[in-house]
Amino acid sequence: MLHLPVNLPGVVDHLRKIAGRDAVLDRPEDLMLYEYDAGIRKSTPGAVVFPQNTEQVSQIMRLATAESIAVVARGAGTGLSGGSIPQEGGIVIAFSRMNRILEVDVENQRAVVQPGVVNLQLSEHVSHLGLYFAPDPSSQKACTIGGNVAENSGGPHTLMHGVTVNHVTGVEVVLPSGEIVHFGGKAAESYGYDMTGFLVGSEGTVGITTAITVKLLRKPEKIATLLGVFESVDDAALTVSAITAAGITPAALEMLDGWTLRTVEAFCHAGYPLDAGAVLLIELEGLREAVEEQAIAVREVCLRQKAREVRRAKDEEERALLWKGRKMAFAALGRVTPSYYTQDGVVPRSQIPAVMRHIGNVAKKYDLIIGNIFHAGDGNLHPLILFDMRDAAQFERVLSASWEILEFCIQCGGSITGEHGVGMEKRDLMPLLFTEEDLDVMISLRNAFNGAGILNPQKIFPTPRMCREISGPTQNPVLMQEGL
Amino acid sequence: MSTVTTTPRFAPVFRAICGEKYVMEDPAELQAWNVLGVAPALAVTPASVDEVTNILRFANQHGLSMVPAGGFTQQQVGNLPQQIDVLLFTSRLTAVEHYDAGDLTVGIGAGCTVAQLSAMVAENGLFFAGDPAQPERCTIGGLLATGLYGPLRHGYGGLRDYCIGVRFVTGDGRKAKGGGRVVKNVAGYDMMKLFIGSQGTLGVITSASFKLFPAPRQTRTFVAVFSSAAEALEFRYHVLRSPLDPICLELVSPEAHKLLVPGSPAGAWWSICLRAAGSDAVLARYRTELGSAVVREIDGANERGFWRALEDFSPIAAERHPRSLSISMTLPVRDVQPVLSELAAVAESNRFAFAAIGRVGIGHLLVSLWQAPDAEVSMVSFVNVVSALRNHLLHDVSMAVLRCPSETRHHVSAWGPMPTDLESMRAVKMALDPKDVLNRGRFLF
Repeated sequence: MLHLPVNLPGVVDHLRKIAGRDAVLDRPEDLMLYEYDAGIRKSTPGAVVFPQNTEQVSQIMRLATAESIAVVARGAGTGLSGGSIPQEGGIVIAFSRMNRILEVDVENQRAVVQPGVVNLQLSEHVSHLGLYFAPDPSSQKACTIGGNVAENSGGPHTLMHGVTVNHVTGVEVVLPSGEIVHFGGKAAESYGYDMTGFLVGSEGTVGITTAITVKLLRKPEKIATLLGVFESVDDAALTVSAITAAGITPAALEMLDGWTLRTVEAFCHAGYPLDAGAVLLIELEGLREAVEEQAIAVREVCLRQKAREVRRAKDEEERALLWKGRKMAFAALGRVTPSYYTQDGVVPRSQIPAVMRHIGNVAKKYDLIIGNIFHAGDGNLHPLILFDMRDAAQFERVLSASWEILEFCIQCGGSITGEHGVGMEKRDLMPLLFTEEDLDVMISLRNAFNGAGILNPQKIFPTPRMCREISGPTQNPVLMQEGL
Repeated sequence: MSTVTTTPRFAPVFRAICGEKYVMEDPAELQAWNVLGVAPALAVTPASVDEVTNILRFANQHGLSMVPAGGFTQQQVGNLPQQIDVLLFTSRLTAVEHYDAGDLTVGIGAGCTVAQLSAMVAENGLFFAGDPAQPERCTIGGLLATGLYGPLRHGYGGLRDYCIGVRFVTGDGRKAKGGGRVVKNVAGYDMMKLFIGSQGTLGVITSASFKLFPAPRQTRTFVAVFSSAAEALEFRYHVLRSPLDPICLELVSPEAHKLLVPGSPAGAWWSICLRAAGSDAVLARYRTELGSAVVREIDGANERGFWRALEDFSPIAAERHPRSLSISMTLPVRDVQPVLSELAAVAESNRFAFAAIGRVGIGHLLVSLWQAPDAEVSMVSFVNVVSALRNHLLHDVSMAVLRCPSETRHHVSAWGPMPTDLESMRAVKMALDPKDVLNRGRFLF
């Protein structure tokens, strides 16, 4: 049981001793900046501390454990699921001063970075070597690699290259006890349990990552970016599985529906057709010869699936413009709505047409505008539900609509989150996906490291916990005797 | 040298759980399923996840030691078990959980073999990227538990990249899962990662889901030869820095070549074997980029046979040299060359010969070592070779001894040092199998 830090002034003094006088915030006006992320929840911390090295993180953890104060690690606060929201009165460990690239190892194609390194900065730093870091969340100009590790973040190019966990081979971790441990290293794999793979995506509930060894990929020789323009969402959705069925694995395959592309176009003039029902943004990469062949094949598939036209970016400038529209979409929405709510459900790819129809019906049922801009290639939806926070009744409808969409995803065999994480936002949906016993196993793992619940409480797992499910009694006398 | 412990009290319970027909109690029959000479006291073949759950609950309650078994291809790997109360076969857990070719995903029971799964998806032009040795025997559960892979690891990634869901029963009898059946999913802890390579010590895997890939329409293998490992590995960098995107990139030592291609002319060539997929135009580009180092191209049935032999390197080497060491190393790419130099030096000073192959673009080596024909037969020298190699292990390198002569078992640890914190791994083991029911004594603790 955690309690509020009753002796907070003492704790703040102690934090200042650990990290330095200028490395701790505790005034209400400063703390307000750390009470939210890019989602919809808020909670005010008791203190924010900016460690400059692993040893300080270790001392902070020792202090927090001794005082039973909740701790959450924070990168840039760009998360959408509440992963970095503090417990009221708890400590935020902000990593903006641990933002150094510690090593670039070209021969092994690895970099070792501190958690506060901004995602895009790493790619820029190694660009002259012909290398880059593959995970590319839409927030990559701001989000940190530590945050990417906690949430196992994705992005458009995860279709070909996978999410963050596929690009992390080693981590340095501070456990709640303050102990500093190492999992993995520069080798792609090693004998023993894959603790690195387990830690990535554990949403800050197992340990705090203080150094990360990541893979660097070689930049492809050729990139082709195509825009397939369709009369309807249905035609575009059917094209997604047709491309996969044709044996083509694009690097990225994104869909924007008509409403969204018009909103985006008005904001940043990416060159999207204003009268289309939907567009597919398709990127191919690899060996020149292979990319050219695939570009022809993709065009054929799109036209066969009733695409009105298929454009191809002539040069890097046109390519950048097409992607600008995609990456700026969330900013564009800010111009037409006071607030929006994004979901992150996943469906098997063949179910995309069905789920898109379902989202359309849900929008009608609840009288809401729902835009769609998402990673169609891996079935990862991002329905954007527009609302005005001042309209409480409308917000209730938003939550109901969102719930119905995610329920449909689960019914199709999908998931409630593809890349944003469960956080606070979706923890009460976890029982739809996992049994009591599934969650019980995960919680026993969390407790093995974070038994006192100091680290990022109120995340991932639903509350309140119901009593444990017991399977039906056996009829077999031998088994009954054995208590099975 | 078998250690048969009779556990008569338990037999009726297992019969009640699985049915009489699926409990093996005959000592002679059980002896055939020994693990490093230790025969199980009893073997069960459950038909469902619920039966597996009941078996594990019972084993946990009574502190039994249990060994899960798939196709028995890797069962002799690991440290010597003291006693095996129950051997659990997964061979009846073979149901297809989900399969839609359009989704490029499949969910399949742990007892299904890799060859069966590959054949099933091949009918839809799809391809399962797992390529362990002996795929006709190796099961999906065993593949995951041992974390095996073959040459395709280079182009398609490892199990941790394409296993998207796992169902299991923990050592303490909890029936649970991680992940799901969609290709992108971050809900809950990534249980797949913990189970892959866990050597069956956390739970019994009952089924798993995977990403599939479109089968390549055409492939071709280019063989480039060099007079030294150093030159071959320099050529590897040439490939890694090029725009080429091969599906396999394998180093083959001179002795390995002799083992894999019987009757091939004796020579001292180190080869880099590169397998490419694509159209004629793509393959022509490979030809241009690879240049004059390539002495041979292989396609069709010969190509399939060649890669199959590479997949089966360890069993082939063990058959040819029954008294041999088989070693597997994971290492950073740059360390391949110093490790091979060290290996050559250790082999020479102990009068051993060695054959090595490996995914040198990823950092994985498989090595077989045997005493040179003119060397004096000596068990001590096997132990010396292992300790010499372990003493010189570089940072981030882990080395498992997959096989050694049985007389040396007691003196050779199968696993050695690892880059990952041991106490954290112990915490995971305690959380899922607190009574150490599964594969007791065989892995880390």
